[in-house]
Amino acid sequence: MKEVVLDCLGEACPVPLVKAQNKLNEMEVGDVLIVQLDHSCAMKNVPEWARKDGHNVEVEEVDDGEWEVIIEKTK
Amino acid sequence: MEKSNTKFFDRVKKNEYYIKWLKNPFTYVTAAVLLSLFQIVTLAATKNPWGVSGTLAYWGAWIYQGLGGSVDKWYYFASSGAQSTLAAGILNHGESWRNFGIIAGALAATLLASGFKVKKIKSVRQIIAAVIGGLLMGYGARLAFGCNIGALYSGIASLSLSGWVFAVGMFFGAIVGSKLLVKFFM
Repeated sequence: MKEVVLDCLGEACPVPLVKAQNKLNEMEVGDVLIVQLDHSCAMKNVPEWARKDGHNVEVEEVDDGEWEVIIEKTK
Repeated sequence: MEKSNTKFFDRVKKNEYYIKWLKNPFTYVTAAVLLSLFQIVTLAATKNPWGVSGTLAYWGAWIYQGLGGSVDKWYYFASSGAQSTLAAGILNHGESWRNFGIIAGALAATLLASGFKVKKIKSVRQIIAAVIGGLLMGYGARLAFGCNIGALYSGIASLSLSGWVFAVGMFFGAIVGSKLLVKFFM
């Protein structure tokens, strides 16, 4: 099981979403992807997609206007 | 009397109404309904449909005049209406105040949600894309006599066919834009 950090700070929609999707595709079931982002609409659409896909998702506000979306690949 | 140990703002942060109204973003449906209501108010109060980017052309003209230039001979500003708007100045321009309000409101919203952040620029690519994109959008919006607000949103809201034509053009433009984005930013 590995943990991958994806730095999307300073990237605007929809770049974080597409990057997260591509990254998660290369990962194994059980791996954890941490997406760092500071674009508020990505903070909405990245968790939304991951939940719809059936993964375990948690959003953490790490600083003002900065979030980490933690996605555990389940399938 | 014993003083409460938790600070005021720490308590506000956990308040359910704060979280519901100011912290969490509104849903798309809520925002869409509010936008629709306020554009009706705008049309009723000002007798003009809502627009955003036409004002930006005036801002450009005022800046150009401030630097000593003249737009008197420009075809775009040739109408007497445009000339009198330019002569009256930005402080007497209602649409400019509405745009100031959008900027101030967006800032207030992000501050109230503690979401304000000065973002770093990640690459030169971002600057180039932003400049090219901004120029294309501004130029296109003036050619079409409106942006996605004035031409699309207000157009469709006024039951005008031109709004739907704009929508078709924008849809295909967005496809091309997305392809370019994935190509250059992934």
